[in-house]
Amino acid sequence: MQKPPVLLAVLGVFAALVAILPLGYLVLRLFEGFEAAIAELARARTLELLLNTVLLVTSVSLSALAIGVFQAWFVVRTNLRFPGFFAILATVPLAIPSYVLALGYASVFPWFSGFWASWLVLSVATAPYVFLAVSAALMRVDVASEEVGRSLGFGRFKVFLKITWPQVRTSATAAVLLVSLYVLSEFGAIALLRFDTFTRAIYNAYRSSFDRTAAASLAVVLVFLTLIILFFARRYRGDYLSQRAANPRRLRAELGPNRVPVSVALLVIALFGAGIPLAALLNWSLIGSSSTDFEKLIMATLNSAGIAASAAVLVSVFALAVAIWTVRHRSKFAATIEGLLWSNHALPAIVVGLALVFFGANITPWLYQSIWLLLVAYLILFLPNGLAAMATPLSQVPRSVVEVSQSMGDSYRKTLTRVVLPIASPGLIAASALVMLTVLKELPATLLLRPSGTETLATRLWSATEELAYAQAAPYALVLVIIAGLPALLLNASVRKTYSEVNQK
Amino acid sequence: MTLLSLSNITKGFGEGEVLSGISIDVQQDELLAVLGSSGAGKSTLLRLIAGFEKPDSGEIVFDQRVVAGSEFVPPERRHIGIVPQDGALFPHLNVFDNIGFGLKGDPNRDARVKKLLELIELTGYENRKPQELSGGQMQRVALARALAPKPKLVLLDEPFSALDAELRERLRLDVRRIIRAEGVSAILVTHDQEEALSLADRVAVLREGRIIQVGTPTEIYNAPADIGIATFLGDAVLIDGRVEDGKLVTDLGKLTPLNQVQEGQTGVVAIRSENFYLQPNPAGDSEVIGRVFFGHDAVVEVQTPTLRIKARSNGPFAPEVGMKVTLWVRGAVNFYPGK
Repeated sequence: MQKPPVLLAVLGVFAALVAILPLGYLVLRLFEGFEAAIAELARARTLELLLNTVLLVTSVSLSALAIGVFQAWFVVRTNLRFPGFFAILATVPLAIPSYVLALGYASVFPWFSGFWASWLVLSVATAPYVFLAVSAALMRVDVASEEVGRSLGFGRFKVFLKITWPQVRTSATAAVLLVSLYVLSEFGAIALLRFDTFTRAIYNAYRSSFDRTAAASLAVVLVFLTLIILFFARRYRGDYLSQRAANPRRLRAELGPNRVPVSVALLVIALFGAGIPLAALLNWSLIGSSSTDFEKLIMATLNSAGIAASAAVLVSVFALAVAIWTVRHRSKFAATIEGLLWSNHALPAIVVGLALVFFGANITPWLYQSIWLLLVAYLILFLPNGLAAMATPLSQVPRSVVEVSQSMGDSYRKTLTRVVLPIASPGLIAASALVMLTVLKELPATLLLRPSGTETLATRLWSATEELAYAQAAPYALVLVIIAGLPALLLNASVRKTYSEVNQK
Repeated sequence: MTLLSLSNITKGFGEGEVLSGISIDVQQDELLAVLGSSGAGKSTLLRLIAGFEKPDSGEIVFDQRVVAGSEFVPPERRHIGIVPQDGALFPHLNVFDNIGFGLKGDPNRDARVKKLLELIELTGYENRKPQELSGGQMQRVALARALAPKPKLVLLDEPFSALDAELRERLRLDVRRIIRAEGVSAILVTHDQEEALSLADRVAVLREGRIIQVGTPTEIYNAPADIGIATFLGDAVLIDGRVEDGKLVTDLGKLTPLNQVQEGQTGVVAIRSENFYLQPNPAGDSEVIGRVFFGHDAVVEVQTPTLRIKARSNGPFAPEVGMKVTLWVRGAVNFYPGK
């Protein structure tokens, strides 16, 4: 096998170091103040936070599972009219950052806060992940095996429980674990709705005292919870579903007179997941349009776009280097680096932000309060996304094409630039765009690390809601949905795949 | 005794009818093959019998009970076993649990599964997952799974189509043996005429949604109802002929008709390629112009003064290209009047 260009390895190792240093420093500092940290964690308050967090994670996971499976079954496996439309409808919440959803509700209903509010918002925000995973799995289930089940004496419902569900369960479990990681690291919506979980408590502890031990020790507990879920997530990655495409024929259950009520139910879910909050924000934007400071709005939009674009370039350079290294030069070392980088994908952004604040303030004061530290945070947070998105188009370039190019006298490096990258470029560009759109929506790390005076759409929105000025926040939220959310939804590969598969016959 | 009876079944999906006016009976302990090319409606026929589809009109009576027509019995209450094309084993269950799936709460479940494992010669494979089995093994497990609850009828939907030729032949014999041992009736759907003819007690030929001929394999092969079946069932040479004095006058001489003919009729004579006999003869008026060797036999292309035909000949003794031969037709042939 070809030796990888040194540059790739250097970039990869550098990214890995950047990724682990801040967190390592956080833990180190905590050990120095070990007794203070223990005292901090021994308070009754910690237990309360733990219970709240576990309660929210569990309840949201279960309800997202119920909603997603409900949507997937009816869209994929019944004779529902306009399945493509309902598939899109089920994924629309993906276009709306969950703090924007929360803002939409809170702006109309003043009483909308606390556990139930957070539960509702996060359930509708995460249900699309379950929907996508379960509908993909449902489409792969071999219909003939269900028919055999019927012929062996089992009714429709029993066949679902004994034959269909076991084949979907792994995908559903993986999606639910993803949802629980999402809830565990969610900051914006929960803080906006004033429900005390670890993320909100970490932010408040950081804001309210100079002693940052409290924030750090809570952050370590949060990381620990994340690791527990990751442990289970690893176990559920195995999948015994057949790799071959299952029977292309799909069995669609006759809904008969239930068609209308089911369609209504799906519409109501979409109303909660997107309709109500978007209508509220639109309404506030129009009402408050006379008082909207358009100069501020435009400045924030430009800042957001500029920062997100720089972050996307930075992340893409590293992601491309590591992806080429690991995809086209598989080695133990490359795999280790990739694993290190990948292990960050579930880290709550608030923890990364906090760790960088510590690291920056104490070790690299020349970086602290500069845009560079914020970019480093984005690199840590979104390199895994970029890596995953870039590995796919790269791995799809056939080896034989590379070999042909080399047989015609091109050096490896030339082959890379003349053959591999051009072939993979559409996928690579889409991957960078996705990274940029994700950065646009990021809130907690941006809040902690932005240079003072720099305002983005997300931070403007945040400060307005802290003052309960919802009409002021609404236009920022709308712009975010339009320039970040909707394009991200359109670029989402699994959304597109599901849509086209659902629409086939 | 009649086990299954279909009368005047019609079924369509959106545009046009897939099955029209199908009537057929299956007797106790009988193996019926439904032979047809793809798109003929074979699978739909099976799905109607199994209860996965409802007929648009007509009636299905199974085991002296109306299951479709005036009443509809869902598949889970019909007790008809089915073996789908690719086996469709439950990927989340091992071999033992796959076979025992239909025996919920049966106290003799274990013994029954063990017996079936013996019958399909897969004892020792109990704990294998479906994806650890070969294609032929999967099909045998699928058959055992269908047979486990002792249905009176089992439906086989092209069960051998995904297997390679050698395996297919072995599995055919296995399946026939297993079905006989269990004393169950079966309907086998296939597009492979060899499969239908070698396995079945009776063959029904399905074309464009209609049954055009039913009979024993010998009847079907020797007396195809029309030219379409004749050519579908095997290589046949079609030549013009005329009936004179009860004989068929053709370019290949006077031939004996197998079916009823009327004096003076003109039409087409179908001669199977194995009915030709090539006699090497330096003075013969025909010449061998091509030869494809298959080992056990060979297909020899022969140019007669007026025709070019393909004849099947004993492999090692087939005449060489360029040899002069005399062409004979052995046995009686089928005549189809009109054209």
